[in-house]
Amino acid sequence: MNQPSPRNILRWFDPRHRQPGTWAFILNRITALGLTLYLAMHLIVLGKLAQGPAAYDSFVALAHSPLVKIGEMLVIAAGILHGLNGLRVAITSLGFATRYQRQLLWASTILSGILILIFARAMFLGG
Amino acid sequence: MTQISHPSNPKEPLGLWLFKIITGPIILVILTIHFLVNHLLAPNGLLTYAEVIAYYKNPIVPIMEIIFVCFAVAHSLTGLRGIVLDLNPSQRILRIFDWLLLILGSTAILYGIWLALTIASA
Repeated sequence: MNQPSPRNILRWFDPRHRQPGTWAFILNRITALGLTLYLAMHLIVLGKLAQGPAAYDSFVALAHSPLVKIGEMLVIAAGILHGLNGLRVAITSLGFATRYQRQLLWASTILSGILILIFARAMFLGG
Repeated sequence: MTQISHPSNPKEPLGLWLFKIITGPIILVILTIHFLVNHLLAPNGLLTYAEVIAYYKNPIVPIMEIIFVCFAVAHSLTGLRGIVLDLNPSQRILRIFDWLLLILGSTAILYGIWLALTIASA
């Protein structure tokens, strides 16, 4: 079942028979990669601050496009999901609340959803 | 604390796993402050060069940002290593990758510190 074989690769993309915790694990990995990419971009772009006002201000003007806003919203969503799920993993890994793993998973997912909606409202509807 | 479980790859040293677990909440706290200050306290959201420079005049800001960049880079590259471990790399590939991450991480942290100090002294 768990032996690597070409046939098992296809199982990766089979969404059935997965525990909620597995989804959390997959989501944590995907958001990790996205956030790492964002961190690199963020550090590079902020380098414009060292080039003076003209370089930075013209970049910020460019960053007002709707496409950038959608990208920023994705980063915020990834950060919230990764942060709260990570906190859940940290709590249970250190031996706390191990009897309430399932409840913690739902709590972190629901809280993430609420926070993402609040941020989306602030970003796209202005408050 | 009863027992520390290690749900990630067993090939990952326990120390690295704990490092991610400990730096994660620290990053979460600094990120929350970063967001509150940048987007609620700063009237226009620090969107101009002049505003950023004024914000960095408070010495707490560059100190916080430097701590932030150190933890964020280290946490993110430790996590990347964990993902690569899941691909079952050979010892040789893993050693090369470790060096790559070490060089990349040190460069990113040194650059981040330089940038924060440059902005603070502008």
